Amino acid sequence: MAVIGVGRFIQQRQDFEDSIARSYQVEMVARERIARGTGGKAARAVVTQQADRRDQLRDEISSDTRDTALLVAAGLLAGLTGALLLFSGLISSLRRPLEELVDAAGRLAAGDRSARVEVGGLAETATLGNAFNEMAEELEQEEVRRAELDRLKDEFVLTASHELRSPLTSVQGFAELLMLERDSLTPRQAETVEVILDNCRHLVRLLNDLLDLARSDAGRLTIRPAATEVAPLVEDVVRTMRAQTEAGGQALSEQVDPGLPPIYVEPDRIRQILVNLLTNAHEYSPEGASIGVSARADGAEVEITVSDDGPGIPAEQLEHIFERFTRGDAGLTQRVGGTGLGLAISKSLAELHGGSIAAESTVGQGSTFRLRLPVAAAPGQSGDGAAGGQSQAPAEAS
Amino acid sequence: MATILVADDSETILLLMRTRLEMAGHTVATAADGQEVLDHVADGVVPDLFLLDAMMPRKSGIDALRELRAAGWEAPVLIVSAHQNPGDADAPTDLAIDAYITKPIDFDRLLETVDELTA
Repeated sequence: MAVIGVGRFIQQRQDFEDSIARSYQVEMVARERIARGTGGKAARAVVTQQADRRDQLRDEISSDTRDTALLVAAGLLAGLTGALLLFSGLISSLRRPLEELVDAAGRLAAGDRSARVEVGGLAETATLGNAFNEMAEELEQEEVRRAELDRLKDEFVLTASHELRSPLTSVQGFAELLMLERDSLTPRQAETVEVILDNCRHLVRLLNDLLDLARSDAGRLTIRPAATEVAPLVEDVVRTMRAQTEAGGQALSEQVDPGLPPIYVEPDRIRQILVNLLTNAHEYSPEGASIGVSARADGAEVEITVSDDGPGIPAEQLEHIFERFTRGDAGLTQRVGGTGLGLAISKSLAELHGGSIAAESTVGQGSTFRLRLPVAAAPGQSGDGAAGGQSQAPAEAS
Repeated sequence: MATILVADDSETILLLMRTRLEMAGHTVATAADGQEVLDHVADGVVPDLFLLDAMMPRKSGIDALRELRAAGWEAPVLIVSAHQNPGDADAPTDLAIDAYITKPIDFDRLLETVDELTA
């Protein structure tokens, strides 16, 4: 349009200049005739006429120029608008697929392995979309394979620890049977049976720990919490541990604040955690060490603390202390009979109760483990929430 | 002392249970599965206590118990299970079960429970 306008403008200008030139020629001829005295009145009329004509031409051309300028401007405007439309069309045909990609990548990163994009638009974005979808597909398949492996691992541990129970019962049971007739055994035989029993107990602990962890991983670790008094629970655990700490020449003290509210827990599981913490304190502390258990109320929780003045745990070990198969100093663990699973299970169990467990330690001064558990709701109120959201439906193939 | 009908599909565990229970002064009849339990009572054994393994081939302890209860047997029942949490394992809610014992069996606890249930 602008080109047409400019073309027309040039044409009009040419026509105008031609007409002006012609008008001057005519006038010149008339003036020559006047100068020669042959033109007379008619020649003078021609001069006037031609002057008028040129004025008229000039008016016309300026009006035409304005029109043409308008036309050119309109043309430019239209062209610009067209270009803008074309460009924004291009941008949006790029933008939509890109936005979709960004969105899908976000979902993929957040764990939604089914995130895919609709492939379309320009060739380049379509290629990008296809590549993204292929990548997401592979990730999804990888995830499925990994979930399947995890499931098989959980099944294996559950089945293995289950199947080992019957033969273990036999070995332990018959060894105990022998110990019942200890008097008729020689000292060496009695000692041998003691070793068998020690190892059986270790194996039982390992199996129970493995089973707990496998259940926890498979989301099948369940608790049946009930309002439980803290003091009798702590006393019971301390009584259980007393023989071991006394044999190790260690002092075991107990300090439960009076009037503690009952906690909403499964007592056997809390006993398991406390025995685990006290066994660690006992086994990692030297002869003559002091070990203490205390309990106090703190808001909607009761904090049970197990502390010792043993060798302490270096910071780099403390960091990983609740991870499975993480154990203290290698030299110490040679004589310590733990499974390396106790604290990992204790943590799972504490969290299953809606509580928490934390450790602090200073090398050379000792370690402190704090177990925090929710207080049971007042009578009449439902305490179901206290077990946390992790209680899964009990289901286990025997 | 009580008459106890013990069922387990492991011969060694049956032997172990029989020995420990007899040492504690009880009279023991053994069965290798749930069907044998039913056969024993049909043959005239009248136990004061059933001690049944939850899982056994042919007929499980739970299935045998279901038939015993249906036939009017009211003697207490102790279920032995390999589960750590027997209560949430395969506990049937429609059956009266007096106690659970988990494997590996803690015999001191087993004997205590037997005494309580047959007192």
